[in-house]
Amino acid sequence: MVGRQDDVSRPPEVTVRASRPLALAAAGALALTACGGGGESVDTGGGGGGGGGGNTLVAAVSAQPDQLDPHKTSAYPSFQVLENVYDTLVVPNAEDLTMEPSLAEDWETSEDGLTWTFTLRDGVTFHDGSEFDSADVVYSYNRIIDEELQNAYRFANVASVEAPDPRTVVITLSQPTPNLLERIGAFKGMAILPEGAADQVDLTTEAVGTGPFTLESSDATSTVLAPYEDHWGGAPNVEGVEFRYITEPAAALTALQNGEVQWTDNIPPQQIESLEGDDAVELATTPSVDYWYMSMNYARPPFDNRDVRRAISFAVDRAAVAEAAWFGAAQPNQTAIPEDSFFYNDYAPFEHDPDQATQLLEQAGVSTPLTMGLMVTDEFPETVTAAQVIAGQLEEVGITVNIETLDFATWLDRQGQGDYDAFLLGWLGNLDPAAYYQEQHVTGGANNYQKYSNPEVDRLLQQGAAETDEDARKEIYDQAAQLIVDDVSYLYLYNPDVVQAWVPGLSGYQIRADKAINFEDVELP
Amino acid sequence: MLRRTGQSVVVLAGVSVIVFALVHLVPGDPIRLALGTRFSQETYDALRERSGLDQPLVEQFFSWAGAALTGDLGVSFRSGETVTSLIAERLPATLTLAFASILVALLIAVPLGTLSALRPRSLVDRGATVLSQIGISVPEFWMAIVLILVFAGTLGWLPSGGYVPLTEDPLGWAQRLLMPALVTGVVSGSVITRFVRSSVLEALGADHVRTAQAKGLPTRQVFTWHVLRNALLPLVTVTGVQLAYLLSGVVVVEIVFAWPGLGQLALQAVQARDYPVLQGAILLFAVVFLVINLVVDLLYTAIDPRIRR
Repeated sequence: MVGRQDDVSRPPEVTVRASRPLALAAAGALALTACGGGGESVDTGGGGGGGGGGNTLVAAVSAQPDQLDPHKTSAYPSFQVLENVYDTLVVPNAEDLTMEPSLAEDWETSEDGLTWTFTLRDGVTFHDGSEFDSADVVYSYNRIIDEELQNAYRFANVASVEAPDPRTVVITLSQPTPNLLERIGAFKGMAILPEGAADQVDLTTEAVGTGPFTLESSDATSTVLAPYEDHWGGAPNVEGVEFRYITEPAAALTALQNGEVQWTDNIPPQQIESLEGDDAVELATTPSVDYWYMSMNYARPPFDNRDVRRAISFAVDRAAVAEAAWFGAAQPNQTAIPEDSFFYNDYAPFEHDPDQATQLLEQAGVSTPLTMGLMVTDEFPETVTAAQVIAGQLEEVGITVNIETLDFATWLDRQGQGDYDAFLLGWLGNLDPAAYYQEQHVTGGANNYQKYSNPEVDRLLQQGAAETDEDARKEIYDQAAQLIVDDVSYLYLYNPDVVQAWVPGLSGYQIRADKAINFEDVELP
Repeated sequence: MLRRTGQSVVVLAGVSVIVFALVHLVPGDPIRLALGTRFSQETYDALRERSGLDQPLVEQFFSWAGAALTGDLGVSFRSGETVTSLIAERLPATLTLAFASILVALLIAVPLGTLSALRPRSLVDRGATVLSQIGISVPEFWMAIVLILVFAGTLGWLPSGGYVPLTEDPLGWAQRLLMPALVTGVVSGSVITRFVRSSVLEALGADHVRTAQAKGLPTRQVFTWHVLRNALLPLVTVTGVQLAYLLSGVVVVEIVFAWPGLGQLALQAVQARDYPVLQGAILLFAVVFLVINLVVDLLYTAIDPRIRR
């Protein structure tokens, strides 16, 4: 499933997607004119979109935020903006994504792991001038819980949120939840609003946060932020940020090259290699915490047969799939988690081996050619590309893949009904294994659409979810991951890179594996 | 006139029923799309209730249609904003692009079509045929991207896209309008050129034109009064059709040039199964077609007195 552990369900490149033929033709056009692109910087009066001022950062993003209520949206374009406007109690560190203080300065866990006490930062004010205290935290969390908003599931284990004094918040749990910090801090969907905000302002179009920027305006062309001079972490260096929506990657890149924008995350993947040697553009990549995978339906024989699934896993050449989908800007991986993560598990039992695949199919008694439907969606064009490569690879071992390209709404319907042989999709923003292994592989899990069931895996996952010692926890998830990979509950494919680019000389910005976009410290050349 | 308006109301009522039914019949669950994939069943039920989707379909239709009569088109599932404000926000950009494109189209089509008709099989005629063939068959997105790469990239003369209101920055407005209007204008212009050519040719061969020529009227007068006026009828029709098409949004061009028009809004609404926005947009397109048809009919009677009763 696509969905984030922090629930940003759409990667930036596809929210308003360009149709596939469009993307392909764009590639063709680029190839045709590639010789002309010297990348000289020409000022074409780009600042007209409302940002104004010479010290305003203009960032080209691929889509308009669907709405700006942090507790209600699930869209990545919204979080790109909200990241700069709101704060959470804790926040992932830019280097290794471990949780560090933000609005909470400090926290303690009780012996039994059921009571978490947070000490709040002093001297924090909201954009409306009011002072931040514990009542705002209680209000914000209870709004999510009581109204059953988007992230209510993150509070599944929370029995109560209380404010014994203005600087203290106590969260009481019904069962130990070692990843509580990830649950309340992984992204701005858990933002802290001033008490009563929902009754006073229209949060879908206005914002009252404690973040480094205030929301100035948002329309169908761009969203404009102004610096918040009283920000607790210090005022930002730029005079404003304008998020301008440019869906077509070739256009976004051109806008960066001719100086209309200073930053973009909308880069045509096929251009990455040529941009690496381009002095006019600073290109940055880092492995993301997203993963893409294939899932086979256990309710449809012969995919209930472990040997058949293992045969397919041997037949797929992950490196070739990653190369085709991302032009090399993706790391093949047989488990979910990229190398930089604390929970990374260096386990790769499936070397690309068509002979072994054929042998396993024979052993399973499956007569070839076997026909397999593979459901993909043009909402995420990389699944369509990946499916074509996989189809070619499976053909070699006698499996004829019938690629079904659907729109995402239909795709979700069919997934929900179990009406498929196999599908390709990704999970985005994975920080904690309790979120990215549990629901996907535990028997009867909410996102276990493939209907995988292994009692040993179930036991390990339950144990891992409650284990408070980090190293012991990693050990448990390593074991679970190996079983999941061996059984091919998911056929993990790759982790794509985060790819962003900006004008040379731009400083104070850090590319992050969780794709959070933070312009607090950015400085223009 | 009154009867036509009455007919339009009936048509709109029918369209609203069909639109509502079709939109709800399309597979796909707007709530699941809005929530992404990680959410609890309680969250799902709560949002479904807030959106009114838990009501019987017939009830949903009447409450929607009743509100629509008062100008209230509902609230977007996706953004929580009213449909009327979402449409109003994008209407200026769509109107601007549509009329600019029609202007470009007519500037291309009328001279080119007329010249070809006056000199059939000449070099001009053949050239025009080839050009309009190219205009029709070259994909819009390809033309759009090539323009961006050349004029915004290599030459650096124009911004790569976007939109600013005319009142805010007239120069920026014109600079940003130029490329998208050219792309859609060339496509529409190519279609219209062919109509102009054939209708002028037909008018040239008409009996009354021969008579006019025979009685010694100056060529210019024959052409202006007897040929052009007759050739204008089909031109008005095809221009009306093209305009209606442009007003309902040109998705591809809007996306490539980051032009915030109705086409993008409608596309997003389809993808998110955002029923209220989709219904509102389709209803608006239906109104646009009805109004344009009405205007075309009125123009007919102005151009050709015989149509008047």
